[in-house]
Amino acid sequence: MTTLSQTDSLSQSQRWLQALTEKLSARNLAEASRQLLLPAIGILLFVGFWHLAAPQVQTSLGAFPGPADVMEQSGQLWQEHSNQRDRAAQFVTMQEERNERILSENPEAEVKIRDYPGAPTFFDQIFTSLGTVLAGFVLATVIAVPLGILIGLNRHFSAAVNPLIQIFKPVSPLAWLPLVTMVVSATYVSDDPMFAKSFLTSMITVTLCSLWPTLINTSVGVSAVNPDLLNVSKVLQLSFWTHVRKVVLPSSVPMIFTGLRVSLGIAWMVLIAAEMLAQSPGLGKFVWDEFQNGSSQSLSRIMVAVLAIGFIGFLLDRIMLLVQKKVAWNE
Amino acid sequence: MKFRMLAAAALILASSGHAQADIGPAEKPDLKLGFIKLTDMAPLAIAWEQGFFMDEGLFVELESQANWKVLLDGVITGTLDGAHMLAGQPLGASIGYGTQADIITAFSMDLNGNGITVSNDVWEEMRPHIEDNSEGNPAHPISAAALKPVIEQYRDDGERFRMGMVFPVSTHNYELRYWLAAGGLNPGFYAPQRGDTSGNIDADVHLSVTPPPQMPATMEAGTIQGYCVGEPWNQQAVFKGIGVPVITDYEIWPNNPEKVFGVTEAWAEKYPNTHLRLLRALIRAAHWLDENDNANREQAVKILARSSYVGADEDVIANSMTGTFEYEKGDVRDVPDFNVFFRHFATYPYPSDAIWYLSQMRRWGQIPEPKSDDWYMETAAKVYRADIYNEAARTLIEDGTLKAEDFPDLDAENFTRPHQGELIDGVDFTPRQPNAYIDSFDIGLKGSQTP
Amino acid sequence: MTKPHLELTNVQMAFDTPTGPFIALENVDLKIRKGEFVSLIGHSGCGKSTVLNIVAGLLQATRGGCVLDGHEVNTPGPERAVVFQNHSLMPWLTVYENVELAVQQVFRKTMSKAERRDWILHNLKLVNMDHALDKRPGEISGGMAQRVGIARALAMKPSVLLMDEPFGALDALTRAHLQDSLMEIQQDLNSTVIMITHDVDEAVLLSDRIVMMTNGPAAKVGEELYIDLPRPRNRVALADNPEYVHYRQAVLSFLYEKQSFPNKQRPSQDESEGDTPGNEQTQPSGTVPVRSAPSGRTTEAQVAEEIT
Repeated sequence: MTTLSQTDSLSQSQRWLQALTEKLSARNLAEASRQLLLPAIGILLFVGFWHLAAPQVQTSLGAFPGPADVMEQSGQLWQEHSNQRDRAAQFVTMQEERNERILSENPEAEVKIRDYPGAPTFFDQIFTSLGTVLAGFVLATVIAVPLGILIGLNRHFSAAVNPLIQIFKPVSPLAWLPLVTMVVSATYVSDDPMFAKSFLTSMITVTLCSLWPTLINTSVGVSAVNPDLLNVSKVLQLSFWTHVRKVVLPSSVPMIFTGLRVSLGIAWMVLIAAEMLAQSPGLGKFVWDEFQNGSSQSLSRIMVAVLAIGFIGFLLDRIMLLVQKKVAWNE
Repeated sequence: MKFRMLAAAALILASSGHAQADIGPAEKPDLKLGFIKLTDMAPLAIAWEQGFFMDEGLFVELESQANWKVLLDGVITGTLDGAHMLAGQPLGASIGYGTQADIITAFSMDLNGNGITVSNDVWEEMRPHIEDNSEGNPAHPISAAALKPVIEQYRDDGERFRMGMVFPVSTHNYELRYWLAAGGLNPGFYAPQRGDTSGNIDADVHLSVTPPPQMPATMEAGTIQGYCVGEPWNQQAVFKGIGVPVITDYEIWPNNPEKVFGVTEAWAEKYPNTHLRLLRALIRAAHWLDENDNANREQAVKILARSSYVGADEDVIANSMTGTFEYEKGDVRDVPDFNVFFRHFATYPYPSDAIWYLSQMRRWGQIPEPKSDDWYMETAAKVYRADIYNEAARTLIEDGTLKAEDFPDLDAENFTRPHQGELIDGVDFTPRQPNAYIDSFDIGLKGSQTP
Repeated sequence: MTKPHLELTNVQMAFDTPTGPFIALENVDLKIRKGEFVSLIGHSGCGKSTVLNIVAGLLQATRGGCVLDGHEVNTPGPERAVVFQNHSLMPWLTVYENVELAVQQVFRKTMSKAERRDWILHNLKLVNMDHALDKRPGEISGGMAQRVGIARALAMKPSVLLMDEPFGALDALTRAHLQDSLMEIQQDLNSTVIMITHDVDEAVLLSDRIVMMTNGPAAKVGEELYIDLPRPRNRVALADNPEYVHYRQAVLSFLYEKQSFPNKQRPSQDESEGDTPGNEQTQPSGTVPVRSAPSGRTTEAQVAEEIT
């Protein structure tokens, strides 16, 4: 038994060694260098250029921040965040103690634990933005995909709707924002609102701007289903819903996902702009607040936000790509 | 430090308020209050950081706003429960100038705190027309007359001389206009009845709206040649080396009323206890800011410098908050009353404050047709709710938090703000006779004139 | 004379084009008996696929009609299963799921879940594809996919199996293999098959009857050739069979002599009219019974005038 497992592990380690040597073979190394080394060189060159060029750009708030300043400020922002977290934890403990005392005096008293009402940190703002962008994107998807299917399936409907799509598609989020703000304020009236108005405003603006690529791609994907497959569906006498579910939808999934990826990219860009303009909580507000602060660290902090926005946008796209690979049959 | 403060707050919460005996629990304990990044928002930040809000059982979230318009809309639409406001905003909204909404104030946030800054170029041209004092520095106060040759130069070149202020109904607009008119320059009239709300009719100096935090950047970009704004944005210009403050509003009108805390009338009626508790916290915060001869100001500066509040560099904020003001770089002068939060009964919403703002609205045409003296009195009483302030102040005296002498005699009428000096043009402010006061200006609408 | 299993009567098919209607088929008559294997052969564009699509119900004849077991065909349906030219499997479904989609649809009410599963596996086994149940169409060869397509069609238990050049896109070996499988299956199930093909050998090897269509426009049934070779047929053995060679020749002569110049040659009109040979069981051996379809009322010259 022991010897068996020994030989087993031996062969395993041998296999592992073999795999390693294969990995280290010249061709694989060349491949790895192409995949890792060149991007690394690109990034290093950029950082070097940034480091050298930044001090040359003088603003009234001091020199443009270099990589070191930005690193320092990101540490600073993290520090502020963890301080805030500590305070929030403290706040909750305090409330718990207080509630206990109240309950011991009067067991029927209504007590609740409130969230810490402190100012949101950079990282809080990131999560706010992510939540808003996902909500807006999901809403856009929920609207755009079914509508796109209808447009793709029905030529008459498509002809009727097409001019509207063409007109609304290029509208900038900044144009929608005041209208959305006013409409949300006027229509969403509740004493105990489930969502903050600012959240709704940002989310709806994101939805309005990001639904178009999904809508258009879905309709194109649906109208371009292989006619042979449509014939199969007819021969099988599939009901409308089964037809949509089993033939149309899966067939247009690759196109839909291409649209979704474009939509998500737009959603993220639009959100930052909308938050900046409407001062809704999120990364956009963080950038604008820092700009308004005009302190000697403001530029570095804005630069941290710029990098974070870019990185998150990149991550979102990658996640969509992964989902697409899982879902789409042609990947 | 922080934790100790919170712990203290916890203790007070635990003892569950002898202070709150008279006032019932807050109807709406979770509040969101708006502010603009200016040092005069300090009472809000201090009430939060010192736990005064929590003492009242209020869970307040403070949120900075992009500009005064967004802030006002936030309060009107209910996104914000209340906000740090320009004194003209509750008045303007109530009389329907701009957005119509019934907004009231029962708390005056501060006195003074503004300055007028011009760009370095303009300063160089102004300087020869300003006399020196004994130390060889410019003699203060500087009259707008020194600006006249510069403006004539601009006019000869076919250019407009532009200055920024923060909002059409802002203190800064009226103070800048007051200073310019006192120096013989016409800042232009409004004609809302004709839809002209630019305020540039017959103007020698063209005024335009810029949000406070963008003032330095806008002047740096050359879009405006100067501005009137609250702190730290005058000191920021000095710090950045892009401009020179020429006068503070203390020199235009000593102890002039400035920001107020505004809520909608409907909100105040719906949540009376919450409103009173908010006022209690704000009064305590203002008291904290001024107590022991401004002993807490340095700590306040540290708090305000946080990026979630004012966010400017500490030394910039400290310049004005600790009783000094830097004009030209290096020309630091004592202005002990530059930021007054509690002294001189600063927090009391005197009706005379409202009358002065209304008189300036009429003077420049924002109120296009003549109004009776009674109308001024009624409007002031409707918007400046000293009755609510009195109630809050009484509970603070009753529970021993503050002393009776911290407040004016709450049983008296308290119509005219005390401790105010003479205005820069020497015109006597007679709040009981608003129309007579309006008629006494050289430049401005009088009697039944319409722009 | 029993009633024909499937009957096309006087079918005309016109398509709207920007320059006016285009008559693709004119007076197509065809009677097919149960269990018969019929090949449609003709030059490209002669309307073979149109005939198939009319039987499938995917196209509606502009005149005349198609009757299956006494019922007029108006819509597509699983009793007339189609094997398309390029397999037409759903690329996002596995081999199993593709057949399942059809079985689910047709036997949802009549078979239990387990029965359906057995039936799906049975049909895939029939075409020798039970080893690749979880493969997607993109992961198997074209020949394999075509076999799955056939399995899907068979799994519907169709009265008529319609095949549109089912082996056209395959290499010669695969094609031969599938032809053999098809012959076996058809013999076992005794299903009626209509197959479009371009391949003369395929037509002769598989069919009971070859229907040769004239060139379009206004194509019609030109000649019909009954293949009276004993079954099971063996392609190697048949290669030297003189009858086989003869049939081959007959088809080739129709295609490359009588119909070699599309639009220029008129169909023969000297044959007798009326009596169509749809249900005749046997043919005298040794002779090649070539009959032309009834002549149309519209000559091609007239059609040519109409469309130009």
